[in-house]
Amino acid sequence: MSENRPIISIRNLRKEYSMGEETVIALKNINLEIMQGEILCIFGTSGSGKSTLLNQLAGMERPTLGKVRIGHCLISHLHENELALFRQQYLGFIFQAYNLLPTMTATENVALPLLFRGINKKQREQAARKMLERVGLGHRLDHYPKQMSGGQQQRAGIARAFIHHPAVIFADEPTGNLDSKTTQEIMTMITEFARKYNQTIILVTHDPEMAAYADRIITLKDGEILRDVKKENFI
Amino acid sequence: MRWHDLLGIVLQNLQRHRSRVFLTTLGVVIGCCSVVIMISMGIGMKEAQKQMLAQMGDLTLIQVSPLSQGKKAAQLTDQTIELFRQLDHVEAASAKLTSDAVELQLVTQNDQRYRSEYISIIGLSKEALPALGYQAKEGKPLLSAPFSILGGRYFAYSFTDSLRPESSNRIDLFSALYKEEKGSLPEPFFDPMKTPLTLTVISSDGHPLFTQKITVSGILEEDHGKYETFDGILMDIKDLQQLLDKANPGKSKKNTYTQAIVKVRGIEDVAAVEQKITHMGFRTSSMESIRKPMEKEAQQKQMMLGGLGAISLFVAALGIMNTMIMSITERTREIGIMKALGCRVRDIRTIFLTEAGLIGLLGGIIGCFLSLILSFLMNLTAAHQPGLLNQFQETPWIENTPAALSIIPFWLLLFAIVFSVLIGILSGFYPANRAVKISALEAIKSE
Repeated sequence: MSENRPIISIRNLRKEYSMGEETVIALKNINLEIMQGEILCIFGTSGSGKSTLLNQLAGMERPTLGKVRIGHCLISHLHENELALFRQQYLGFIFQAYNLLPTMTATENVALPLLFRGINKKQREQAARKMLERVGLGHRLDHYPKQMSGGQQQRAGIARAFIHHPAVIFADEPTGNLDSKTTQEIMTMITEFARKYNQTIILVTHDPEMAAYADRIITLKDGEILRDVKKENFI
Repeated sequence: MRWHDLLGIVLQNLQRHRSRVFLTTLGVVIGCCSVVIMISMGIGMKEAQKQMLAQMGDLTLIQVSPLSQGKKAAQLTDQTIELFRQLDHVEAASAKLTSDAVELQLVTQNDQRYRSEYISIIGLSKEALPALGYQAKEGKPLLSAPFSILGGRYFAYSFTDSLRPESSNRIDLFSALYKEEKGSLPEPFFDPMKTPLTLTVISSDGHPLFTQKITVSGILEEDHGKYETFDGILMDIKDLQQLLDKANPGKSKKNTYTQAIVKVRGIEDVAAVEQKITHMGFRTSSMESIRKPMEKEAQQKQMMLGGLGAISLFVAALGIMNTMIMSITERTREIGIMKALGCRVRDIRTIFLTEAGLIGLLGGIIGCFLSLILSFLMNLTAAHQPGLLNQFQETPWIENTPAALSIIPFWLLLFAIVFSVLIGILSGFYPANRAVKISALEAIKSE
C-alpha cells in the first residue's frame, strides 16, 4: 500500500527562540516519519511546541538544527521563492480563523491557490465552484466571507485547501472556533476528502476529541514527543 | 501569477479604501498640478521673451561692419560677402548700401503732381531678399525687374501733393497711424503699385543730375526689426551702386561696403556664426547678446518654479508612502495568508508597487486635466488684464504681448504623468519591502 511510503521525514529537528537574554527551546530533538495518506494528529497543550512543529513542517520558519523533508524537497532549507512554488504545488492549509480574504467572494477565495499558480480565471473558478459544491456551499458561491457563518467559512477554507490536490494538508485547530455539531461535519469532510485521494493531513489540536478522526496521534510535551500512537484497527 | 489577476487584486484593494485612496490621490493631483502649472508658466515666460525679442528684430540676423577704416583692416567686399554666405548655417548674406551720399527725389512719372524729397534708399542683394524675411502687403517681396523698388508699409504717405497749399499738402502719418488703430487708415494720394515713378538724382549744389524711371514691385508688411519696412525704400544693391557711381563719376570704384547682413538658419547657430565672422576681423551685432542673458534668466526662473512644484509632489509622495504603510499594517494577516497559499514574494511586491503606481497614475491624469483647466482660466484672466501678464513677465514696455501666461505643451503632460507614476512607485518601494518581509506565520497565528 502506498501508505507505507513516508512523505514527510523530520531529522533531529531543534528550534530555539531567543527572547532577549533568554533562549527558549521550543522543539528539542524531534525525529518523525509521516506516511502518505496518514491522518496525523499533533496533540498537546499550549506551550508544548505543537504550533512550532507545524510551522517547521510547513516551512514557515527555519529550524535551528535538523532537517524537514517533504517528498524529495528539503523544505527546511528552501529559499522563499522555491518555498512559494512548493506550497502552490504540494501544500494546503486550513486555519482556525478560516482566513478567507474579505474582499473576495467564496469562489474567488477558493480559487486563490490556483490564481497564484497562474491558472486562468475561467478554469480556476470552474474548479472552485465544483469544490464549493462538494463542501455543500453551492448556494454561497458569490457570498463574501462576512455573509457566511463560521461553519460555512471553514467549509470554504476546506475547499480552498483541497482545490489544487495537495499532497499534504496542514490544519491548525480547524474547528477551534466552531460548535460541536459543526466540528463533526467539518472533520468528517476533511478526513473523507483526504482518504479519497490518499492525502496526508497534519492536524494540530489541543482538543482530545479530535484524536478520534486521526490514524496516528503524536503527543508533544515541552518540545519533545511524549507518545506516538498508531491506530491498528485502521487498514 | 497572471498580470491581470494581479491587477484585479490591486483594484480590489484600492476600492476597499476608497476614501483613503481618494485623499492620497488628491495629494498627487495637487502635486502634479503645481509642477505642470509652474513649468507651464516658465514656458509661457520664455515664449513671451521670444516674441518680445522677435518684435525687437529678427533673431537670426547678424549685422556686420568693418572694425575701422584703416587700409589694413578687413574690408567688406563682394568676395567677403561670398565667404559669409559659404559659412555653415548661413542662409543668405548681403552687403547693405545706403544712398545717403546723394540727394534723391521721387516724382510720379505721368503728372509730376506728387513728389517725395530727401528720400533714402537701401540697397540689398536681390538674391538674398527672400531669405531675409521681407513680407509683401501688396505685390511680391522681390526685385525682379531692373530699377524696381520695394516700398515700406507707409512709403506712399511721404509724398506731398504739389497742387495743394503747403498747409494741407501731405497726410500726417502719425494721425494716420492713430486712425489706423481705430480701423480707418486714410488712403494715400495715389496707389504706388499702379503709378510709375521717376527718381531724380540731385547734385550737391541742388541741380538735378539725371533721372531714372522706377517701378514699385511691392509694398512691404511692417516689421518692427527692419525700419525700412516702415516708410523706407529697398532697391537691388547693383542698381543702387550704378546710380551712386553715375552721380559721383570721379570717385574710385573700390567696391567696399560699410555694412552687411548675414542671415543664419536657426537661432541656436547665431552665436557660432557670429564668432566666425568676428574671427575674420569684423564687428558684428545681433540680438544674441540680449537673448542669451534673458534666456539664462528665464531658465533660472523656470527651474525655481519647477522646484516649488516638485516640493508639493514630494509631499504627495510622502502621502502615498504613508497610505501604503498603513494599508500594509492592516493587511499583515492577508499578506500572510497569501504567502501561505503560495503567492510568490515578487508577486506581493508587484501588488504593492502597482497599487502605489496606480495612485500616482490616477493622480497624474487628474492633475493634468486640472492643470489644463487652470491654465485655461489663468490665460483667460491674463488676457483680460494685459497689465498683469506684462508685470509678471517684466516686459511692460512691449505692448500687447500676445504670449499666454501659461503654456502646456503635450510633452509636459506626458512628463507629468510619467513622473507621477514614478513618484508613486518609488514611494511604494519601502512599504512593499515591508510587506514582503511579513511571514506566512502571521496567517496561522490565531488572534
